[in-house]
Amino acid sequence: MLPPAAAPRATPPEASPLMLSVRGLVKRYGKAPAVDGVDLDVPERAFMTLLGPSGCGKTTILRTIAGFETPDAGDLVLDGVGLTGIPPERRPVNTVFQSYALFPHLTVAENVAFSLRLRRGVPDVETRVGRALDAVHMAAFGARYPHQLSGGQQQRVAVARAIVAEPRLLLLDEPLSALDRKMRAHLQVELKDLQRRLGIAFVYVTHDQEEAFALSDVVVVMKDGRIAQKADPATLYARPASRFVADFIGEATLLDGRVLAAGPASATIDTALGVVEAPSIDGLAVGAPAVLVIRPEIVHPGPGRLTLQGTVVRAVFQGERSMVGVRVGSCEMLLPAVTAPAVGETVTIGLDPARCFVTGDDR
Amino acid sequence: MSLALGRRHLAIPVALFVGLGALAPLCVLVVFSVFTVDDFDLVPDLSGRAWAELVTSGTYRHLIGKALLSGAATAVITAIIGYPVALALARLPTAWKGVAVVVLLTPLYTGEIVRIYAWRLVLGAEGLVNAVLEGLGLVDEPLKVLLFTPFTTGLVLTYNNLPFMVLSIWVSAEMVDRRLIEAARDLGARPIEAFFKVVLPLTTPGLAAGIFAVFALAAGEMLTPSLLGGTAGATAMAMIDSLFGTAYDWPMASALALGLLAALFGCASLAAFLILRLKGARAVLGRAR
Repeated sequence: MLPPAAAPRATPPEASPLMLSVRGLVKRYGKAPAVDGVDLDVPERAFMTLLGPSGCGKTTILRTIAGFETPDAGDLVLDGVGLTGIPPERRPVNTVFQSYALFPHLTVAENVAFSLRLRRGVPDVETRVGRALDAVHMAAFGARYPHQLSGGQQQRVAVARAIVAEPRLLLLDEPLSALDRKMRAHLQVELKDLQRRLGIAFVYVTHDQEEAFALSDVVVVMKDGRIAQKADPATLYARPASRFVADFIGEATLLDGRVLAAGPASATIDTALGVVEAPSIDGLAVGAPAVLVIRPEIVHPGPGRLTLQGTVVRAVFQGERSMVGVRVGSCEMLLPAVTAPAVGETVTIGLDPARCFVTGDDR
Repeated sequence: MSLALGRRHLAIPVALFVGLGALAPLCVLVVFSVFTVDDFDLVPDLSGRAWAELVTSGTYRHLIGKALLSGAATAVITAIIGYPVALALARLPTAWKGVAVVVLLTPLYTGEIVRIYAWRLVLGAEGLVNAVLEGLGLVDEPLKVLLFTPFTTGLVLTYNNLPFMVLSIWVSAEMVDRRLIEAARDLGARPIEAFFKVVLPLTTPGLAAGIFAVFALAAGEMLTPSLLGGTAGATAMAMIDSLFGTAYDWPMASALALGLLAALFGCASLAAFLILRLKGARAVLGRAR
């Protein structure tokens, strides 16, 4: 089942009360800005993911919210209170680090109790530590030391340690990136489940698009310190705001073209495959360069509304199906096929232009 | 039984060399300590005189106690001064760390005698310190306490041993992941709490190594106390030296040497036992396996 081209917003987080607001955030290292004017609103209970290639500034944003970095410009407001000048230990925010950063000299239970024991007179430390470990299915491991645990177990303890003091906001910096694929998929489900149960807003950083899609209400795609697009996963996939987003999110054939006519929600574009009318982003100017985004799943073998002839140049086996590359003129189209044709074979393929998407060329 | 050689067997020659090198002289000392001196000749007549004297004589006990105290005090003082220095070094940019090592070790390259005479010039009645103090009008006549007093010995022992303390803590501090400090802050620890709950426990191995090294070096120091400590500069080491030499009382010298060794060994073992009970040390050393 495909996401429809004009997907409705999956969840309406806009309706929830605003909790964290970031305005005009700038952070430079030397002269180069790592974060260059970012605005973000994290609503209560939201699962927001910052997604982008390494060096795009996503981790810097997270570290600024945590208080490890001082912004060069911009404001952070949490629950109506400005965070400027407030040190990390006084922010109602906790972090799950990429490397877990568990204290090696403390047991699992002592690690989890760390934040509670720092405050004088917190009652029921033991009970609360037990509950937090329970929430991540690590209740039986309280007496172990971190080095006696597997990566996945350490990650769970890191989560328990970060949630035990019931922060307003949980920051997660690529928490699953050090784990193998299977463990990662497993923990994704657990994290999402945990976030729903706790009702805490999560801000999650990853470079893994599948992970971002699996977890998030809102995905913020970052490029070079700026926000490239901010939307729910379905919208992001179906209506990428730029060539960069279309390319970064999922597989697609991107065809360069020029805008011939632009309506409010669709555009006519001249490409190597001919003149095509398709849904589009707003604000395309006639004559401007644009990109036709063709996702593999809208291309099919045999004739369609738009029928093309081409030569099979590659077929990548992916399990239940293969991803086939077909050269049509100067461009290569991707399509899924249950039985892959032989490389070199001439094939007829079809697609429905109405299910393509026209977006801006930001190169 | 397999005769295959593993990598650890490569250590056998050196282990033998070190073991015999340490044990053989000790055995010789044990034997000497129960011999008798007869007319400037060591003869194998068994006698417990030296050991009896070691236990009953106030002088020898005092000298051994002084060596232990001097070692312990120097270790504690260098640890207190050296710890912040080591932490600061661990946070320097990499290029500056190289410079720091050279600066830290330069005094050690000059040789002990040179340093001792340099201290005499600095601390003497007409030395640098007194000249400055008098020039500023802070004192009317030269301070006598600066040279040939226990203060001098303490000052110079601290100075001589500080690099060893700083180096070992520094290595330990470099191995503390900065993210652990961030994690502590994130979880609500003020900087001082992060230090006591994370940094200090995880640097105990370096602190311990520094304390052991400085304790042994300072307790066995002879030249600095005798040449700078004045009348209070008598040490067990100097006593052993004169017993072997001018006094020609080899049994007594051997017994005192063994007694001092046993006392140092006992103190170091006790300290090691206590340190290994600390969680930080166990975590760091246990992970290394």
